[in-house]
Amino acid sequence: MFIKPEVLAIASSLSAHAAARQALIAENVANADTPGYRARDIADFAATYREADGAGMTRTRPGHLGADDSAANASAPQVSLSEMSPNGNSVSLETEMVKSAEVRREHDLALAVYGKSLDILRASLGRR
Amino acid sequence: MNDFSSSLSIAASGMEAQASRLRHVSENIANADTPGYRRKMVAFEAVVQDGEKSGAVRSGKVRLDPADLTRILDPGNPLADENGYLDGSNVDLVTEIADAREAQRSYEANLRMFDQTRQMAQSLLALLRR
Repeated sequence: MFIKPEVLAIASSLSAHAAARQALIAENVANADTPGYRARDIADFAATYREADGAGMTRTRPGHLGADDSAANASAPQVSLSEMSPNGNSVSLETEMVKSAEVRREHDLALAVYGKSLDILRASLGRR
Repeated sequence: MNDFSSSLSIAASGMEAQASRLRHVSENIANADTPGYRRKMVAFEAVVQDGEKSGAVRSGKVRLDPADLTRILDPGNPLADENGYLDGSNVDLVTEIADAREAQRSYEANLRMFDQTRQMAQSLLALLRR
Protein backbone atom coordinates (compact mmCIF):
# COMPACT_ATOMS: atom_id res chain seq x y z
CA MET A 1 0.00 0.00 0.00
CA PHE A 2 2.12 2.92 1.20
CA ILE A 3 5.65 2.26 0.13
CA LYS A 4 6.85 5.67 1.11
CA PRO A 5 4.15 7.72 2.80
CA GLU A 6 4.83 11.17 1.41
CA VAL A 7 2.56 12.84 3.93
CA LEU A 8 4.76 11.65 6.80
CA ALA A 9 7.84 13.10 5.12
CA ILE A 10 6.10 16.45 4.57
CA ALA A 11 4.84 16.56 8.16
CA SER A 12 8.22 15.75 9.65
CA SER A 13 10.03 18.34 7.53
CA LEU A 14 7.38 20.90 8.53
CA SER A 15 8.04 20.21 12.19
CA ALA A 16 11.82 20.34 11.59
CA HIS A 17 11.36 23.70 9.90
CA ALA A 18 9.30 24.93 12.86
CA ALA A 19 12.00 23.81 15.28
CA ALA A 20 14.79 25.51 13.31
CA ARG A 21 12.79 28.72 13.11
CA GLN A 22 12.00 28.57 16.81
CA ALA A 23 15.74 28.35 17.55
CA LEU A 24 16.37 31.51 15.52
CA ILE A 25 13.49 33.34 17.21
CA ALA A 26 14.83 32.37 20.64
CA GLU A 27 18.22 33.74 19.57
CA ASN A 28 16.65 37.02 18.41
CA VAL A 29 14.69 37.42 21.64
CA ALA A 30 17.72 36.65 23.80
CA ASN A 31 19.71 39.26 21.88
CA ALA A 32 16.94 41.88 21.92
CA ASP A 33 19.21 44.25 23.88
CA THR A 34 22.61 43.35 22.42
CA PRO A 35 24.15 46.36 20.66
CA GLY A 36 24.77 45.80 16.96
CA TYR A 37 22.77 42.56 16.74
CA ARG A 38 20.73 42.01 13.56
CA ALA A 39 17.58 39.87 13.71
CA ARG A 40 17.78 36.65 11.69
CA ASP A 41 15.06 34.52 10.14
CA ILE A 42 14.65 31.67 7.66
CA ALA A 43 12.33 31.55 4.66
CA ASP A 44 8.86 30.10 5.09
CA PHE A 45 8.22 26.39 4.76
CA ALA A 46 6.88 26.49 1.20
CA ALA A 47 10.16 27.95 -0.09
CA THR A 48 12.46 25.65 1.88
CA TYR A 49 10.49 22.50 1.11
CA ARG A 50 10.37 23.21 -2.61
CA GLU A 51 14.11 23.69 -2.52
CA ALA A 52 14.74 20.47 -0.59
CA ASP A 53 12.28 18.55 -2.74
CA GLY A 54 13.96 19.64 -5.95
CA ALA A 55 11.34 20.79 -8.41
CA GLY A 56 13.83 20.27 -11.23
CA MET A 57 16.24 17.38 -11.67
CA THR A 58 17.63 15.69 -8.62
CA ARG A 59 21.29 16.29 -8.05
CA THR A 60 23.24 13.67 -6.14
CA ARG A 61 26.73 15.04 -6.80
CA PRO A 62 28.05 18.59 -6.89
CA GLY A 63 29.07 18.28 -10.56
CA HIS A 64 25.61 17.32 -11.81
CA LEU A 65 23.67 19.55 -14.15
CA GLY A 66 20.20 20.85 -13.65
CA ALA A 67 20.07 21.80 -10.03
CA ASP A 68 20.03 25.53 -9.72
CA ASP A 69 21.93 27.13 -6.92
CA SER A 70 19.79 30.22 -6.64
CA ALA A 71 17.28 28.59 -4.29
CA ALA A 72 19.95 26.73 -2.35
CA ASN A 73 20.13 29.51 0.20
CA ALA A 74 16.45 29.45 1.12
CA SER A 75 17.08 27.43 4.26
CA ALA A 76 20.11 29.48 5.34
CA PRO A 77 19.37 32.17 7.92
CA GLN A 78 18.80 35.59 6.44
CA VAL A 79 19.49 38.85 8.15
CA SER A 80 16.43 41.04 8.22
CA LEU A 81 16.95 44.70 7.51
CA SER A 82 14.11 46.19 9.48
CA GLU A 83 14.49 49.49 11.26
CA MET A 84 17.22 49.67 13.84
CA SER A 85 17.34 51.17 17.28
CA PRO A 86 20.11 53.70 18.00
CA ASN A 87 22.48 50.97 19.25
CA GLY A 88 22.32 49.09 15.94
CA ASN A 89 19.94 46.36 17.11
CA SER A 90 17.16 45.40 14.72
CA VAL A 91 15.14 43.00 16.90
CA SER A 92 11.49 43.88 17.46
CA LEU A 93 10.01 41.83 20.28
CA GLU A 94 6.51 42.23 18.84
CA THR A 95 7.53 40.80 15.47
CA GLU A 96 9.28 37.93 17.21
CA MET A 97 6.16 37.13 19.22
CA VAL A 98 4.04 37.07 16.05
CA LYS A 99 6.59 34.77 14.40
CA SER A 100 6.67 32.46 17.40
CA ALA A 101 2.87 32.14 17.34
CA GLU A 102 3.17 31.23 13.66
CA VAL A 103 5.82 28.63 14.46
CA ARG A 104 3.65 27.18 17.19
CA ARG A 105 0.75 26.79 14.77
CA GLU A 106 3.04 25.24 12.15
CA HIS A 107 4.40 22.75 14.64
CA ASP A 108 0.96 21.79 15.97
CA LEU A 109 -0.27 21.30 12.42
CA ALA A 110 2.69 19.08 11.56
CA LEU A 111 2.23 16.92 14.63
CA ALA A 112 -1.54 16.64 14.10
CA VAL A 113 -1.07 15.57 10.48
CA TYR A 114 1.64 13.11 11.47
CA GLY A 115 -0.45 11.61 14.25
CA LYS A 116 -3.56 11.28 12.10
CA SER A 117 -1.59 9.67 9.26
CA LEU A 118 -0.22 7.13 11.71
CA ASP A 119 -3.79 6.47 12.88
CA ILE A 120 -4.87 5.86 9.28
CA LEU A 121 -1.97 3.51 8.71
CA ARG A 122 -2.86 1.66 11.87
CA ALA A 123 -6.52 1.46 10.90
CA SER A 124 -5.52 -0.01 7.55
CA LEU A 125 -3.61 -2.69 9.42
CA GLY A 126 -6.77 -3.57 11.31
CA ARG A 127 -5.61 -2.20 14.65
CA ARG A 128 -6.97 0.65 16.62
CA MET B 1 15.44 17.93 19.25
CA ASN B 2 18.81 19.61 18.85
CA ASP B 3 17.09 22.82 17.80
CA PHE B 4 14.88 22.64 20.85
CA SER B 5 17.70 22.17 23.32
CA SER B 6 19.66 25.02 21.75
CA SER B 7 16.57 27.26 21.91
CA LEU B 8 16.12 26.39 25.56
CA SER B 9 19.71 27.21 26.46
CA ILE B 10 19.66 30.44 24.43
CA ALA B 11 16.43 31.59 26.10
CA ALA B 12 17.92 30.72 29.48
CA SER B 13 21.05 32.74 28.70
CA GLY B 14 18.79 35.69 27.80
CA MET B 15 16.98 35.39 31.12
CA GLU B 16 20.25 35.23 33.00
CA ALA B 17 21.58 38.35 31.26
CA GLN B 18 18.39 40.28 31.97
CA ALA B 19 18.46 39.19 35.60
CA SER B 20 22.02 40.46 36.03
CA ARG B 21 20.97 43.74 34.43
CA LEU B 22 18.12 44.01 36.92
CA ARG B 23 20.56 43.29 39.75
CA HIS B 24 22.72 46.24 38.68
CA VAL B 25 19.66 48.46 38.42
CA SER B 26 18.66 47.61 42.00
CA GLU B 27 22.24 48.23 43.10
CA ASN B 28 22.08 51.69 41.51
CA ILE B 29 18.75 52.49 43.13
CA ALA B 30 19.94 51.31 46.55
CA ASN B 31 22.98 53.60 46.24
CA ALA B 32 21.09 56.61 44.91
CA ASP B 33 21.99 58.56 48.06
CA THR B 34 25.52 57.24 48.54
CA PRO B 35 28.02 60.13 48.27
CA GLY B 36 30.35 59.76 45.30
CA TYR B 37 28.56 56.69 43.83
CA ARG B 38 28.69 56.37 40.05
CA ARG B 39 25.91 54.39 38.43
CA LYS B 40 26.87 51.05 36.91
CA MET B 41 25.97 50.31 33.31
CA VAL B 42 25.73 46.86 31.74
CA ALA B 43 25.96 46.13 28.02
CA PHE B 44 25.06 42.76 26.50
CA GLU B 45 27.32 40.88 24.17
CA ALA B 46 27.05 37.74 22.07
CA VAL B 47 28.72 34.61 23.41
CA VAL B 48 31.43 33.34 21.08
CA GLN B 49 32.18 29.66 21.36
CA ASP B 50 34.93 27.93 19.34
CA GLY B 51 35.32 30.98 17.14
CA GLU B 52 31.67 31.32 16.17
CA LYS B 53 28.66 32.93 17.73
CA SER B 54 26.57 30.43 19.64
CA GLY B 55 23.51 32.69 19.63
CA ALA B 56 23.50 32.97 23.39
CA VAL B 57 23.94 36.29 25.16
CA ARG B 58 25.64 37.41 28.35
CA SER B 59 26.06 40.66 30.18
CA GLY B 60 29.44 42.15 29.42
CA LYS B 61 31.84 44.18 31.48
CA VAL B 62 30.32 46.65 33.92
CA ARG B 63 31.17 50.26 33.20
CA LEU B 64 30.72 53.27 35.42
CA ASP B 65 28.70 56.18 34.13
CA PRO B 66 31.16 59.05 33.53
CA ALA B 67 28.43 61.70 33.95
CA ASP B 68 29.04 64.46 36.50
CA LEU B 69 28.13 63.76 40.09
CA THR B 70 25.46 65.97 41.61
CA ARG B 71 26.70 68.66 43.99
CA ILE B 72 24.73 68.81 47.22
CA LEU B 73 24.80 71.77 49.60
CA ASP B 74 25.01 70.35 53.11
CA PRO B 75 27.47 72.26 55.31
CA GLY B 76 26.75 70.05 58.32
CA ASN B 77 27.96 66.91 56.56
CA PRO B 78 31.44 65.70 57.54
CA LEU B 79 32.21 65.02 53.84
CA ALA B 80 31.44 68.62 52.80
CA ASP B 81 34.29 70.79 51.46
CA GLU B 82 35.06 74.32 52.66
CA ASN B 83 32.14 75.77 50.64
CA GLY B 84 29.67 73.33 52.21
CA TYR B 85 29.22 71.18 49.08
CA LEU B 86 29.65 67.42 48.74
CA ASP B 87 29.50 64.96 45.85
CA GLY B 88 26.27 63.01 45.60
CA SER B 89 25.69 60.10 43.20
CA ASN B 90 24.90 60.39 39.52
CA VAL B 91 21.98 57.96 39.68
CA ASP B 92 18.80 59.15 37.99
CA LEU B 93 15.89 57.23 39.44
CA VAL B 94 13.70 57.74 36.36
CA THR B 95 16.35 56.17 34.12
CA GLU B 96 16.77 53.27 36.50
CA ILE B 97 13.02 52.58 36.67
CA ALA B 98 12.79 52.68 32.87
CA ASP B 99 15.74 50.31 32.63
CA ALA B 100 14.12 47.94 35.12
CA ARG B 101 10.88 47.94 33.13
CA GLU B 102 12.75 47.12 29.95
CA ALA B 103 14.64 44.32 31.66
CA GLN B 104 11.36 42.89 32.89
CA ARG B 105 9.82 43.04 29.44
CA SER B 106 12.77 41.27 27.84
CA TYR B 107 12.89 38.71 30.63
CA GLU B 108 9.23 37.87 30.08
CA ALA B 109 9.78 37.53 26.33
CA ASN B 110 12.63 35.09 26.97
CA LEU B 111 10.54 33.17 29.47
CA ARG B 112 7.75 32.92 26.94
CA MET B 113 10.13 31.52 24.32
CA PHE B 114 11.43 29.02 26.84
CA ASP B 115 7.94 27.90 27.75
CA GLN B 116 6.81 27.60 24.15
CA THR B 117 9.88 25.57 23.16
CA ARG B 118 9.29 23.28 26.09
CA GLN B 119 5.68 22.75 25.07
CA MET B 120 6.65 22.04 21.47
CA ALA B 121 9.21 19.46 22.57
CA GLN B 122 6.66 17.92 24.89
CA SER B 123 4.04 17.55 22.18
CA LEU B 124 6.67 16.00 19.92
CA LEU B 125 7.44 13.43 22.59
CA ALA B 126 3.72 12.81 23.08
CA LEU B 127 3.69 11.35 19.56
CA LEU B 128 5.96 8.59 20.79
CA ARG B 129 3.65 7.72 23.64
CA ARG B 130 0.68 6.92 21.45
